[in-house]
Amino acid sequence: MNIYRYALRRLLQAVPVVLGIVTITFLLSNAIPGDPVQIMLGPSPSQAEVEAIRARYGLDQPLYVRYVNYLAGLLQGDLGRSIYYGVPVLQKIQERLPATLLLIVSSFGFAIATAVPLGVVSAKRRNDPTDHVARVVSLVGVSTPSFWIGLMMILVFVYHLGWFPATNLVMPWAPPSALPAAETRVDVLLASAHHLFLPTVSLGTLQMAAITRIERSAMLETLSEEYVRLARAYGVSERTILRKHAFRNAQLPVITILGLQITTAIGGAVLTETVFQINGMGTLIVDSIARLDYPTIMGTTVVYGLVFVLGVVVTDISYAYVDPRVTYGEAE
Amino acid sequence: MTAPLLEVENLRTRFHTPDGVVRAVDGISFTVREGEIVGLVGESGAGKSVAGASLLRLVEDPGRIVGGEVTFKGETLVGFPDGRAEAGDGSGDDADDRWRDDVLSAEAIRRRIRGREIAIIFQDPMESLNPVFTVGGQLREFIELNRGLTQGRARELAVDMLREVGIPEAEDRYDDYPHEFSGGMRQRVLIAMALACEPSLVIADEPTTALDVTVEGQILELVADLQAKYDTSFLWITHDMGVVAEICDRVNVMYLGEIVEQADVDDLFYDTSHPYTEALLDSIPRPDRPVDELDPIAGIMPEAIEPPDGCRFHTRCPDARAVCTEINPDCRPLDDAGRPHRAACLKHESVFGAGYRESDPIENEAAGGFDVGRTEEGTDD
Repeated sequence: MNIYRYALRRLLQAVPVVLGIVTITFLLSNAIPGDPVQIMLGPSPSQAEVEAIRARYGLDQPLYVRYVNYLAGLLQGDLGRSIYYGVPVLQKIQERLPATLLLIVSSFGFAIATAVPLGVVSAKRRNDPTDHVARVVSLVGVSTPSFWIGLMMILVFVYHLGWFPATNLVMPWAPPSALPAAETRVDVLLASAHHLFLPTVSLGTLQMAAITRIERSAMLETLSEEYVRLARAYGVSERTILRKHAFRNAQLPVITILGLQITTAIGGAVLTETVFQINGMGTLIVDSIARLDYPTIMGTTVVYGLVFVLGVVVTDISYAYVDPRVTYGEAE
Repeated sequence: MTAPLLEVENLRTRFHTPDGVVRAVDGISFTVREGEIVGLVGESGAGKSVAGASLLRLVEDPGRIVGGEVTFKGETLVGFPDGRAEAGDGSGDDADDRWRDDVLSAEAIRRRIRGREIAIIFQDPMESLNPVFTVGGQLREFIELNRGLTQGRARELAVDMLREVGIPEAEDRYDDYPHEFSGGMRQRVLIAMALACEPSLVIADEPTTALDVTVEGQILELVADLQAKYDTSFLWITHDMGVVAEICDRVNVMYLGEIVEQADVDDLFYDTSHPYTEALLDSIPRPDRPVDELDPIAGIMPEAIEPPDGCRFHTRCPDARAVCTEINPDCRPLDDAGRPHRAACLKHESVFGAGYRESDPIENEAAGGFDVGRTEEGTDD
């Protein structure tokens, strides 16, 4: 079986998981104490007003009917209508999701680009000063909350040094005309990178630290494997052993951690968006919860569920790609 | 008789562990001549594998070669400056300034000796191949590196070698991964790897131990055939006297880091001259002897971290006498007839003259069973 069929199979297997996410989300958001109608209408509304709103949002129907209606809506891409914003939830998510995805992807990019070399060098120079520095950096990185890093960086780099803008993001695909100082696509990209830098480091540090630690220990483990000894015995240089013979094997635990880090990144993005005042999914979720905006809470949670499930599937596929021992599920 | 290909003189390798210094290889000397299969025999922990790794300077931390000399085809692989034989300084084996000036540098060993001149086959075929690369790819890489061939030519040779070691449908199996091969097939691949580089010497480190007996037989046959064809010398490390009898020309028996007997294979079996060798032979199960006559060696080997005083084997030796607790015999020729038979046992009174005959036999605690690991002193009288 080839890798495409394997990918398709894993995607199909993810469907029940998504259904589970939708169901739990639906039940949980209905279990939240408080009445959204009351929040919408303010204190002491008339009975008729309350009835009208309930009917409009389908809140007068029994739970199972609403559940079925919600599922039916989902299948057609309808996540309901936001109680607070008064627009379809899907539209709101379409507005906000790109910024968050951009932030998460760039923080992962930053984490991988720094952590993999750091972990490899650390393993190679085990117990050298380089290794000690790398280990301290990763320990501090794992133990420091991302919002604190964000706040400190704003303090130093925005207010004291003035090197970076503090707020919001510029999307790299925004039209140049949308920015005052931009004329070409390159200007937009530069501005985007400029805006993205601090939030990326703030969110990516935790990932970077976690990956460095895993990379180091995985490399140390593979470097003591028998096949590495064999390569050495056949005159392969240490450089090639590090880059080829040990590296690929060591990436398996790293891939697993990357998959798991998706949840951490989603959680961290909420804080990072708040600190850097980015209008992303995180702020949308926080605001909706504060306003008991059920449809938006459910919609964002379901979308995040989808993102996570997709991330796990991608992890599985990369795993199979790197390790030939992972069978694509064919019968023995 | 041809000139020695490999000469090992008084080689010593130690491991500096938190518990103390382990003298894994403690002054062994032997030679391998062209076209010979030389056995290095002993129990687990005798230091055989460390000795093999030391020849290629592949000893890993915290191990270190601390003394002796290894010459191979006239080049010095291991050698220490005069007066610094006990070079127990902080630098690792890679630091070239540890060695005498005529010793090959770490880089030269890697480029010119490893794989190209001396290839190695490890014990565990399941762990020796990298699971994420194809079998053919790994074979090809080592051939390319050590034979200086182009990728295409190396690939052809790799397929030829796979066929030669008896991999069916070698062309198709080339792109398979190690987990798709059985243990015996993987060991064949490792043999192909060793021979494809056309080395003068192959160090086979218990290559059949992890295999079942029928596969072991096939592998031994294969090696014998290939050895005859390529005239490669082998240093065959094993604990199995049966394998020794089948394949070796000459044998070195190791106990606790020392060589205790050295002989042509026939002499070793028919004129056994060291009690340890005798004990090894007695512990082989044979169809003509009932199991209760099977005579395992009493006790377990003491640790090389604190070897017993005197002869290292005296704690387990049925022939031990008081003198054995005091004198550690070196490995001496047993007669002047030019037979290359050496043994390190004081009971050869005419050779050692240490007063063995007059000495009192000692009660050996270990002789009673398996429970005694380290009886350093034996008994006092």
